[in-house]
Amino acid sequence: MADPRAPRPAFAPWDRRELPGLFDVETSARRVGAYAWVEMRLFEALGGWVATVPELDVKLVLGRHCYHHAWHAELWHKRLPELREMDPARLVVPGDDAVAELLAAVAEPEAPERTIEKLVGVYRVVLPRKIAAYTYHLAATSSITDAPTQRSLRFILTDELDDWREGEMLLQSLIETPEEVERASRLQAELEALVTRAGGIAGPGSIGGAGTGEVGGDAVPSPPG
Amino acid sequence: MRRHLPPADLARDARFVRTSIMESITDPRNRAIADRRLGPARLAPDRPAAADRARNLMHGIFMGELQALEGAGRTTFDFDDDEAPFALKLDMARQCWDEARHVEISVRLAEWMGTGIGEFAEATFLYEAACADDPVLRLCGVNRALEGLAIDVFNTMRAFGETAGDPVLAFCEDWMLADEVTHVKMGSDWLRRLTADDPERRERALEFQRTVDKLFSLGGFRGESDENPVRLARRLRELAGFTDEEMDEIAALADESRAEADARAGAASA
Repeated sequence: MADPRAPRPAFAPWDRRELPGLFDVETSARRVGAYAWVEMRLFEALGGWVATVPELDVKLVLGRHCYHHAWHAELWHKRLPELREMDPARLVVPGDDAVAELLAAVAEPEAPERTIEKLVGVYRVVLPRKIAAYTYHLAATSSITDAPTQRSLRFILTDELDDWREGEMLLQSLIETPEEVERASRLQAELEALVTRAGGIAGPGSIGGAGTGEVGGDAVPSPPG
Repeated sequence: MRRHLPPADLARDARFVRTSIMESITDPRNRAIADRRLGPARLAPDRPAAADRARNLMHGIFMGELQALEGAGRTTFDFDDDEAPFALKLDMARQCWDEARHVEISVRLAEWMGTGIGEFAEATFLYEAACADDPVLRLCGVNRALEGLAIDVFNTMRAFGETAGDPVLAFCEDWMLADEVTHVKMGSDWLRRLTADDPERRERALEFQRTVDKLFSLGGFRGESDENPVRLARRLRELAGFTDEEMDEIAALADESRAEADARAGAASA
């Protein structure tokens, strides 16, 4: 066994984490607040829809996914005070006015014959956009200073990917005619227009990109050497 | 989607058949069955038609779980954040997941016991208790009264499974029972928290609970004698936050409900 008193580096040889990240505390908190707002609207809509869909398998999936989004909202609410935001309600807001419009449009269908529309909004528009924004955040933030956010992002992304797949498969099993294909794609296009106008599910800069104002370079410059 | 969805709009597929609780209670055949004097009504494997009665009860559990899922889901949606705190909505979302699992368990158990979706009629009285316009009333009506009944039912079914030598039934009921105790405790905790400074609201909620409890006693379905198919599970209810006085009150309501149902059935068959 090696001499236990021999000096060792703080980072194991295989640990490649780096300090630099694109988000400062305030930016990370703003994004987390926007995520929390979306997760809340989503779990409320899914919960409300359970009673309105006649398809038993869809009812049960919505009930299960409702809790997933509630848990995500809870994780984000708990993270905000750790990001110096002691009044979480201040930041739990839509990332853009068009995001609020989007979530209102997603939650609009109620009639029992509109299950396809309910699922399209969630599983073909909102979840893919969330997965994109969360993936970008995970890749862009500092894996040392913002590690707690990354940990939550990993848990949440696991749920989101599983839920997206399950929702998409439900849709594929429900869409049987050209008319239903048309219904699904027409609504998807309308909702996509809204989320595009919003700049993504967390507002401008949801997945980075030029001209968003979100990404101005490293929030923490690389240390010398 | 509008807020507050009426019971008539609950979405169902073609297998489901709806009835009303009053039709069930005043069904003249109930009197005819009682007149046969087949001995205690308690659910036991050696009782006549025990298998059919257990299947009927299992289907009722399935319907109850489905409506509990729908009711909890509506509570996440029907109220603004200032009407229902975020933490309460989180609890309701958790309950959605639990109830969805219970529906899955109930469907599998129903198949296991030889029945299936739609073989028995559905009454929406459970969901009706989840339509109150005050979230505290919903928590008293659903979580404390209805989920309290679920504790009694699952405890009875677990015992039935053990006595009948059906480990699958006993195993599943035991798991569901654990969740139900949690749900009732949620109701007890939120009642205390949301009405700490509002005794009037608390009393309204408890009065609503008493009404629902009486209805859920279903004309003697639940009680403490051998004449009641489902027994009041005092120890488990205590874990969920019920006091002895509250349980005594439920037992008295059950007796009252049975006497009223007997009188109605007598009048209907006269």
